[in-house]
Amino acid sequence: MLFNSLDFAIFLPVVFVLYWFLVNRRIKLQNLLIVLASYTFYGWWDWRFLILIFFSTLVDYSIGRMLAGQEDQKRRKLYLYLSVIINLSLLGFFKYYNFFLDSFVQAFSFFGEEIKLNYLQIILPIGISFYTFQTLSYTIDVYKREMEPSKDFIAFAAFVSFFPQLVAGPIERASSLLPQFLKQRTFDYIKAVDGLRQILWGLFKKIVIADNAAKVVNEIFANSDSYNGSTLVLGAVFFAFQVYGDFSGYSDIAIGTARLFGFNLMQNFAFPYFSRDIAEHWRRWHISLNTWFRDYLYIPLGGSRGGALMKLRNTALVFIVSGFWHGANWTYIVWAFLNILYFLPFILRKKKRTRSEIVAFGKVIPSLREVLQILGTFSLNVFAYIFFRSETVGQAFSSVRTIFSESLFSLPQFEGMLHAFITFILILIFMSIEWFGRNDQFAIAKLGFTWKRHWRQLFYYSIMLAIFLFMGKQEQFVYFQF
Amino acid sequence: MKRFLKRLLLFILPIVILAYPLDILVSQILRKTNLHYGEYEVWDDIYASNIDADLAIFGSSRAWRHFDPKIFEDSLGLKTYNFGMDGHNFWMQQLRHRKYFAKNPHPQTIIYSVDILTLVKRVDLFNKNQLLPFMLFDDEIYNYTKSYQGFSWANYYVPLYRYATNLDFSSFISDSLFQEYRYHGFKGADRKWNLDLQEAELQYPNFSLDEDTPSVALFISFIEDMKRENIDIILVCAPEYYEGQDFVKNRVELISTFKEIAENYSLPFFDYSDSAISKRQDLFYNTLHLNKEGAEVFTQKFIRDWQRLK
Repeated sequence: MLFNSLDFAIFLPVVFVLYWFLVNRRIKLQNLLIVLASYTFYGWWDWRFLILIFFSTLVDYSIGRMLAGQEDQKRRKLYLYLSVIINLSLLGFFKYYNFFLDSFVQAFSFFGEEIKLNYLQIILPIGISFYTFQTLSYTIDVYKREMEPSKDFIAFAAFVSFFPQLVAGPIERASSLLPQFLKQRTFDYIKAVDGLRQILWGLFKKIVIADNAAKVVNEIFANSDSYNGSTLVLGAVFFAFQVYGDFSGYSDIAIGTARLFGFNLMQNFAFPYFSRDIAEHWRRWHISLNTWFRDYLYIPLGGSRGGALMKLRNTALVFIVSGFWHGANWTYIVWAFLNILYFLPFILRKKKRTRSEIVAFGKVIPSLREVLQILGTFSLNVFAYIFFRSETVGQAFSSVRTIFSESLFSLPQFEGMLHAFITFILILIFMSIEWFGRNDQFAIAKLGFTWKRHWRQLFYYSIMLAIFLFMGKQEQFVYFQF
Repeated sequence: MKRFLKRLLLFILPIVILAYPLDILVSQILRKTNLHYGEYEVWDDIYASNIDADLAIFGSSRAWRHFDPKIFEDSLGLKTYNFGMDGHNFWMQQLRHRKYFAKNPHPQTIIYSVDILTLVKRVDLFNKNQLLPFMLFDDEIYNYTKSYQGFSWANYYVPLYRYATNLDFSSFISDSLFQEYRYHGFKGADRKWNLDLQEAELQYPNFSLDEDTPSVALFISFIEDMKRENIDIILVCAPEYYEGQDFVKNRVELISTFKEIAENYSLPFFDYSDSAISKRQDLFYNTLHLNKEGAEVFTQKFIRDWQRLK
């Protein structure tokens, strides 16, 4: 079920009413309702996905219970490995089986050997990368004795399948989300209104920004051979806004929906395109995944301890795994290597990457230095996106060659220029709102709080009107494919 | 919770109250545009009861592109309207006819442009947005279109919903800027021969079509209805470029259905498959469609042939 669909527009109020009126104040029933609602939500795509998520839930719950009663360290480690192997095998099979087979065949053909292998018709279960990481975090935390294993199977199933964040995150840490299923939830007016506001903003980002940008991006990347350098740059820049609007929009809807049910999910995007360097960008982009990698991969590998070489190795590993997490394509690996390259100066300079203050805090206009830093960081990302978005590495390199040719200095030319212009204006409006709201959890969290009520309502109606006007061409959420 | 629900309802209430009047307003504005290759114009003429034609031309894009009402009016003095519906087979054409008959004076004569696709039924609701300004709470449109992969129920019965989910504002603006109006439903195609045929032959080397039995029954019942109303029907198989006539392997069989129907109901049937026009590539822009010049040559030729029959 898509967030931007009529099905969800009916589903959400029904579940909301049942949750707060029918099973209110009875945690077990509320959790059961969440599980049923989540399985309905997920099964809406394909009921076969439910078998997989149920299996994953059962495995991690059981291993959690086994860890609870086990003091023998060897056995504990064995259980942990069991969970990791089962979860990653499922992920690997559904996501990477054909990719590795294909790479294997290509590698042999490079040496003149033609081999024929059987490819399987595998449907990638939506959200598998997200909930696999979420359940893994539970088992690892229990193994490390950082949290108590759950005794309540329904609460655990609700934690794994919680529909707002099931298919595209934020990837919640068990230690943060699971306890919320065990506590009494009471309706909070402020929280609910805030949730609705965040849902509205998420829909705006997805429908008005991402879907409009997608139309330009799809056309340019599908025919990249036919366009000049400046048009390809336009495609990559628009992709930057598409992927941001799409993914952060999804996260906003997810966080807002969770708030309606009394849950707090972590902030997943903190205005990443206002970052002044690439390290800051990665602390503000897909925060739930990047902190997951930090906690469960980077730090266990040694983190920043040791020499520059160790740090480089650990950073490189995180990016390579992140590249693979995004999908079974070498384009993601090249994208990962580019990011490693971008990180090199930070590692070699041994500078602590802790720029965490908000850019131009308390000011309306940033300094020239800040503007240049923001534009520089954005450009590096746009360049990496050429690889991220291209179908093949060959296509990406061909686009890069065209971009760094004389045609970069000619005007962009393609059939949808009028649409691109309209989208550009929308992006300008969007980024202006983001700029003014960059101190908050999401851009319109407090925007208009000092205005008179009718002006604030008019502002929300305007957002709704924009959503209405551009709802016509629904695109799949980009991150569903990951 | 009460406060939340009360505020939420108050916020949503203006939208609910205004949805229907806004829907009417948007529909009225759209009806007066020439979007969707002028299909809105034809539908609007039908719904506004603007059509008082002696001669009605029915069919698909092969009617729309081939029969020029201006030439009929100048040569025969007959008020003519072309109802040709791009991309659709008889099933959807019949919806247009029914709406036309329900809201306008009936014609004396119908020229029905038939072809290999008339009695086939496509799966998708091609150019579906042409129905947007007209379909709210319209059961007839719902019944005719529900079998297609087109609209969900909410599109027919929830004000504004169909605009939100089907219209794209920026495409709407760009489409509005670059379209030309039709003349009594007709618009000649100012185009040169393209590679559609070669591409189709490569893609589908053994292509054949299946007649849709309910469409055949509906076509026969339509003819019977017209007979009862004393409206003359002339079946016309307009020129098809001869080199492309082999593309659909069962073409002869499909055209013979119309020959049989014409015989059974004593209808005139003009088949231009082997005419000299069908051999002139310069008059076509693809195998099924004449260009603007071709439409002019063909309409004149047809009028002469029809007059001879009279």
